[in-house]
Amino acid sequence: MRAVALLVIFGLCHDLSAGSFDVTVKDSKGALVSDAVVYAQGNGMNAERAKKQTVIDQQDKQFIPYVTAVQVGTSIMFPNKDNIRHHVYSLSPAKKFELPLYRGVPAEAVFFDKEGFVTLGCNIHDWMIAYVAVLATPYFQVTGREGHALLKNLPAGQYTVEVWQPSLRGAPETLAKHVDLGAGGMKQLLFTLDLKPGFRAKRAPGFSTGGYR
Amino acid sequence: MQVTRIIGLIGLLALGLSVARADWRFDAETGVFYDSNLSNSDRAADEKSDSAWKGDVRAGFGFQLSRDLRLNLAGDVDGEVWDRFSGFNNIDFGGSTGLRYRFGLGHQAPWILIEDRLAYEFFDEYERDGWSNNFRIRVGIAITDRLSVETGYTFDHFAARDDFWDLEGNSASVRLTFDVISSLQISLGYAYRYGDVISYAVPPRSDILRLASEEQSVTTFGTNPLYTAYRLQASTHSVSVSAGYAVTKYLSVLVSYEYAATSHDPLEYENHLVEAKVAFAY
Repeated sequence: MRAVALLVIFGLCHDLSAGSFDVTVKDSKGALVSDAVVYAQGNGMNAERAKKQTVIDQQDKQFIPYVTAVQVGTSIMFPNKDNIRHHVYSLSPAKKFELPLYRGVPAEAVFFDKEGFVTLGCNIHDWMIAYVAVLATPYFQVTGREGHALLKNLPAGQYTVEVWQPSLRGAPETLAKHVDLGAGGMKQLLFTLDLKPGFRAKRAPGFSTGGYR
Repeated sequence: MQVTRIIGLIGLLALGLSVARADWRFDAETGVFYDSNLSNSDRAADEKSDSAWKGDVRAGFGFQLSRDLRLNLAGDVDGEVWDRFSGFNNIDFGGSTGLRYRFGLGHQAPWILIEDRLAYEFFDEYERDGWSNNFRIRVGIAITDRLSVETGYTFDHFAARDDFWDLEGNSASVRLTFDVISSLQISLGYAYRYGDVISYAVPPRSDILRLASEEQSVTTFGTNPLYTAYRLQASTHSVSVSAGYAVTKYLSVLVSYEYAATSHDPLEYENHLVEAKVAFAY
């Protein structure tokens, strides 16, 4: 009986101590921003880890999703769901790799062991591009069309909350917000991003793609 | 005999499987084209302008032979229907081969493309019918992730049913392409060609006759007055600007303007060429 009571009290205390950040991301014109990685780092972080493996698909000659966030030490599988071969590569300093021409599921996942932002491409289909944010913290989320992220179950402490988006002008640190999160607290944050006009190698016809055709 | 049949069937099966694994692509374009001086005349009084509907359908596939080497094969049908001068109406059936090598990973790596297109063209004026062959070498590189440049050499050859309409020329070109925003791309180009041209004029034109290798009376532009076609060698400098807007990932709208100046001293003529088209690719 006593043990049960202690367990209930422990559970309640844990819930009461977990805080959250409710983050909205907009651009300079006030429009909600999708594919923005919201992440929080601080002295309250515990050893909790995000999942160890995730997947980025290739389907209809596109990477899905466009932006993925993972914690350092995560492996990513790149299954090819098209009936043609792709050649996945990255030249980013945080992770340089190649998955030479393949179809189906490659034999091994790619291990991301360094913090940073990684740009993925396909050497055959120039318009295919995706991004991986490799983060030290387990507290992160990618915004959807609603431009919103909810970071939950954060221990009390002082945090630095940052946002990165592929079209962000400047470094995420310049927009960082330093927040003191009390036990069980919820903080609402608004980030306004200065975004560069998006430009990618075009899939649509008539557009120069470096001799692909 | 039995062994030969089995080998043949295995070969066809392998080819079929290879084709099935190829990266297929289907393109279609349709639009309007305007030429301010379809007659290539040096005198304003002789100039004839016209507009045409142009359509193009192509199906092709690409084989990635290695990390950096790609082979493209395609078959296409092109057509032109002119508003005023139906003699230029044509339809052609062709095929093209292209081999592209990329020096490194990614769309910003430099590349070289060697391609050849062979087609048979049918004109309303059937004596113009003939085989056309265009051989091209192009090289390109991305300067930044938004700006790229390419340069190329083209050999064009047309062998007509009637030798008079044979044409051959050599061209060099350069083009800059810039991504303005995510869906808008602009290109600026320059080309130089030296080779055969056909210039039409109302005779007598002894000044052109001195330059021409051949002449022939034609009814292409009507009979009152009757025009003469002069075949000669000339230089053409052309500059062009084009813009493409991606409506969806499969559909674009493209507009272009080209100014061409052709000369063989003292003959000089200009063309203003405008095109607007919709392109679909899958």
